[in-house]
Amino acid sequence: MTDLRDNDTWLRDLRSEGALREQALADLMALLARQLPYGLSRYIAPSDPHSAALIEEVIQETLMRVLERLDTFEGRSQFTTWVFKIAVHMALNELRRKRWQDVSLDALDNEAENPQPLVEMLATPGATPETTVARQDALERILKLIREELTSRQQAALLAVSFEGVPMEEVARRMNTNRNALYKLIHDARVSLKRRLEQEGLSPEALMEMFSQDG
Amino acid sequence: MYAMDKLLSFLRRLVTRRAAQPSPVAKLMAALAMTDEGEIACDEFHALLDQFAEAAKRGEDVRALMPLVQKHLDMCPDCREDFEGLMSMLAA
Repeated sequence: MTDLRDNDTWLRDLRSEGALREQALADLMALLARQLPYGLSRYIAPSDPHSAALIEEVIQETLMRVLERLDTFEGRSQFTTWVFKIAVHMALNELRRKRWQDVSLDALDNEAENPQPLVEMLATPGATPETTVARQDALERILKLIREELTSRQQAALLAVSFEGVPMEEVARRMNTNRNALYKLIHDARVSLKRRLEQEGLSPEALMEMFSQDG
Repeated sequence: MYAMDKLLSFLRRLVTRRAAQPSPVAKLMAALAMTDEGEIACDEFHALLDQFAEAAKRGEDVRALMPLVQKHLDMCPDCREDFEGLMSMLAA
């Protein structure tokens, strides 16, 4: 479909009243109905009965969000790209929420019972190839650093996101925070660990090699 | 200085939720190797995503042009999915 409006025209039409605005909204709706399934094709097949309902819901919410946030569009991209971005973000969040809402996640739901969830996971027999003395020593040092540098909250977050593949939004929800703050929490954790390793004369790259070899 | 390719492919295994993953300690070390002090978080990434995606679609060297956005992509599984979804929509 050729986009017949340039950015300025989209903004003008959506800020106007009556027929111009209605037409612009209708065109956006049609565009999203056509394109959004492609954005979600990795996660939901178009033939899936839930797909149509989800897409419909997301399109409505996207149009509302677009109108609310029209003044934040900076014109650094095509208007339709900006709209697609909003739509795909919303759709993926909704998909993740539905998929994970009933999943039980021990480390997140039982924070008090798991003060060192990351340490526990890494120390689990079989989690890590420990067949050499060098590896055993290195692992002990790493676990010690984690215990000293990371709070249980940071450990739980890192464990869930980086090792259990739980979506950030879901982890954030269970930890009563938001995705942005969670990213910063995890980033701080990574930075602390990296600094400590370097202070101790250990190289993450060398350790990565050491623990990637078989046997 | 470690080869970026190797670190990236390692990290991709860390951040994807697909099968056959390296040992947890190796994954953690890969993430630490890739960690920068000054990373942007998800909100800032999201604000720049449309620009970034269009540049990527034009075949520009986005890693060089928008390194902070690229770094966030390397490190954040959810935002990576947003990016890939948007690229699929732009390509359609």
